Amino acid sequence: MTTLNVRGGVGRTADSARGEGIARFSALSAVISTAVALGRALLIAVPVLLVSTFITFMLGGLTKQDPASLVLGDSATPHDIARMQAVFGLDKPLILRYFLWLWNALHGDLGSSWFTKIPVTDSIAQRLPVSLSVAVFALLIAVLLGGTFGILAAVRQGGWLDRVVTVVTSFLATVPGFVAAIALIIVFTLVIPVLPSGGWVPPSAGLLRWASFLVLPSLALSLDTAADLARQLRTGLAGTLHENYIVGAQMRGLSHTRIVFVHALRNGAGPAVAVLGMHVPRLIGGAVIVETVFALPGIGSLTKTAALEGDVPVVQGALLVTIVLVLISSAIVNVLLVRLRPAARREI
Amino acid sequence: MSVLLDHTAERASLSTSERQEKDADPTPLLRVKELRVSVATRAEVVHGISFDVPKGTAVGLVGESGSGKTLTCRSILGLLPAGAEISGGDIEFAGDSITTLARRDAARLRGTRIAAVFQDPASYLNPSITVGAQLAEVFRVRGRLKRRAARAEAVELLHAMGLHRPAHVYNQYPFELSGGMLQRVLIAIAIAGDPELLIADEATTALDVTVQAEVLELLSQLRRDRDLTLVVVSHDLAVIAQVSDDVHVFRDGHIVESGPTRQVLRTPRHPYTRSLVDSHERFGIDHVRRLGDGR
Amino acid sequence: MKQVASALRTRAGLIAAVVLALVLVLAVIGPYISPFDPLKNSGAILQAPSATHWFGTDYLGRDVLSRVLAGAPLSVYTAFEAVGIGLVIGVIPGITSVYLGRTYEWITLRVMDGLIALPFLIFAIAVAALLGNAVQQAMIAVGILIAPAFYRITRAAVLSHANAQYVTASQLFGASLFRVIRTHVWSKILPTLVVATANATAAGLLIVSSLTFLGIGVVPPDPTWGGILASDLSYLSQAPYGPIFPSLLIMATVGSLNLLADAIKDTSGDHGRVRLLKRRGRRVGTA
Repeated sequence: MTTLNVRGGVGRTADSARGEGIARFSALSAVISTAVALGRALLIAVPVLLVSTFITFMLGGLTKQDPASLVLGDSATPHDIARMQAVFGLDKPLILRYFLWLWNALHGDLGSSWFTKIPVTDSIAQRLPVSLSVAVFALLIAVLLGGTFGILAAVRQGGWLDRVVTVVTSFLATVPGFVAAIALIIVFTLVIPVLPSGGWVPPSAGLLRWASFLVLPSLALSLDTAADLARQLRTGLAGTLHENYIVGAQMRGLSHTRIVFVHALRNGAGPAVAVLGMHVPRLIGGAVIVETVFALPGIGSLTKTAALEGDVPVVQGALLVTIVLVLISSAIVNVLLVRLRPAARREI
Repeated sequence: MSVLLDHTAERASLSTSERQEKDADPTPLLRVKELRVSVATRAEVVHGISFDVPKGTAVGLVGESGSGKTLTCRSILGLLPAGAEISGGDIEFAGDSITTLARRDAARLRGTRIAAVFQDPASYLNPSITVGAQLAEVFRVRGRLKRRAARAEAVELLHAMGLHRPAHVYNQYPFELSGGMLQRVLIAIAIAGDPELLIADEATTALDVTVQAEVLELLSQLRRDRDLTLVVVSHDLAVIAQVSDDVHVFRDGHIVESGPTRQVLRTPRHPYTRSLVDSHERFGIDHVRRLGDGR
Repeated sequence: MKQVASALRTRAGLIAAVVLALVLVLAVIGPYISPFDPLKNSGAILQAPSATHWFGTDYLGRDVLSRVLAGAPLSVYTAFEAVGIGLVIGVIPGITSVYLGRTYEWITLRVMDGLIALPFLIFAIAVAALLGNAVQQAMIAVGILIAPAFYRITRAAVLSHANAQYVTASQLFGASLFRVIRTHVWSKILPTLVVATANATAAGLLIVSSLTFLGIGVVPPDPTWGGILASDLSYLSQAPYGPIFPSLLIMATVGSLNLLADAIKDTSGDHGRVRLLKRRGRRVGTA
């Protein structure tokens, strides 16, 4: 039954060696399980990808825009139009066109603009860095601001900081993106003329200059996410900090910092990470407003202009790229969630 | 190279009386003097409790829920719930008063010299970290061991707690282990810091009866081999009988009877104690007398 | 409705309801009470708020207050419309996915996932723009894109009650599926649904303003709240106070919708009922 082992030499070595072997194995298996989880998440993404891209393609199909007549003008005969449509590939049935489009897309060919004839991939490639830098910056700012204030508010529950954070986050949730952008412009370009109110410069023209054009747009884009993150983190963490195992950790004499970051955050950050996952599409897609207000040459404005013109291939291509980006980031977020809380695997 | 005392092995070879002679130290390890605890609405729930816990002994606190025994423990540990506070009296540990300590000093005391295990083992472990990692953490943070050495110590300690396949258990998450195993892990974590006093507050209440007996036996062994002082709190007389030398009977915030366990349980003087023993027997669990005889 | 009523008993809920009622009134009678013709240009351009022009004038000399009032119905109605569409498209699959078999469930889950994967604003713009740049299309698009949220929320709510023992019991008694849903499940998920609707309307209003800001669904010179702000943008240096009032109006409406949603959430369900009763001083028996 119960044996209290008086520590002898032999038993000790065998156990330690076994312990080490198991440890190395567990490190490897952790990597493998993450890879598997990622693979599985990506696999689930396939039907989702199909559905969303189909909807996207159908959009083009439903449009009443007809590139053929636009190109040929009013004097075209129906015969000419039909021929033109064949050139555009519009004579084939919708489903077929969808799969053709998807197939080409997998090979990197998204077609060309109906109007400018520029390959869609080129237009997107040109603008992707802009949108990505804004989105990534915004994400970083959101995590930094939201994370810091969320954690602080949770750790000092009931204090003045907690109340201020609650009020501010609720307030920010009511501010439309463009209002935030306009407000930032007013403050940082009119009241304190410190930053440019719009435009874009590639990093090659000087990192500092590039950053100066990024700051306001990213900040404007991040506020919504930061507020949501702070609120979720505060709620999740506040609940966790009352759990028994936190008391246990305190009793073992672990430092406060360690308790918050190693123990509490693991369990309390779940809802926050999930919310972050939901915001990524918004960051990628919502950049449209920020791009408009700050005159940034990004994918959002590309899509908007193309949509208003009726340039279907461009719209479809841009949407496809955005969807893929969103799905990849969702997969990453899901994996992150499982890694954080292995116990949650059971609940899924 | 280990955090745990090396001379426990030496001490284990001495008999009980020799050991008691060796450290015949008159100051009790823990002394509770006229402790009073009040709850938010100024209602006093613990009315002047006093008892001593001599070094190396095992003291049992028995009573029904609400009798004040848990609040007393929490006061010793500095873990009173929000709204409750010590409104009178003093608690001394190794001669020094701990009720007047600043929070940080009190926290340090808890981690090093006083440890505790509680009722629901699963809830006291972080569900998202392997139990081994949580145990090793104590060695890394307190004993400043490197990752590998800490892991080795942890696996060994798990083995010492009676867990079979300790290396396997090391990599398990709390939800993968049974209650008994979890409690052993928690006891391991508690003694990893090499405390002088271990408080077990209803530590076996949530466990099956057979597992309960094993865990209690583990506690007794720890006491003998590591010279640990125990305070065992329970509403179950069988638990108290198995493990403790002396017992204090709690009722409504007072101690109504104290004395050597065997004596109190065989010949209870206070009517309340008598009724406790009687209802215990009435339900057919007659360990008490038998265990009392065996001591 | 009962949920809303009990929410009105809290102070926050009351304030929110008052503000919302005001906005609704404005939406209905706004165009009739505007002091000036919202479409009439004048020479008094970009004036600061004054006694005659409470909100000032815009770049064409039009009274901003009148434009805001005129724009109210469009903004408010279209937000409601989008939410309504999303509600229907989301709630029905949400409830039925739990009961109509695995295949159906899987299909609805994938379709909704697919919709969620779509980048919201860009997609709404694309739909609206490609299908004829009118508000109707934009609203349908927004409605479809909001549907997955309703789907998930309803589904989660139904799932948490679907396995409740009283549901199983009633099924054992031979109640038809529809009856079970109507009698037991519906009333339990209604509070969640109401809260979600309030929040969705707030979000819908934000989205409508964003869309009109970008020029989607706007037929100039008709005023929309977003459109007003868009024109303000170009003249920001001359009239920095321009965006303030329309923004405040949008924010107030959105804020009170969220506030109302919170109030309903706090006072609904068993938890909420206990809180309400305690507040009134009634003694509540705890199980």
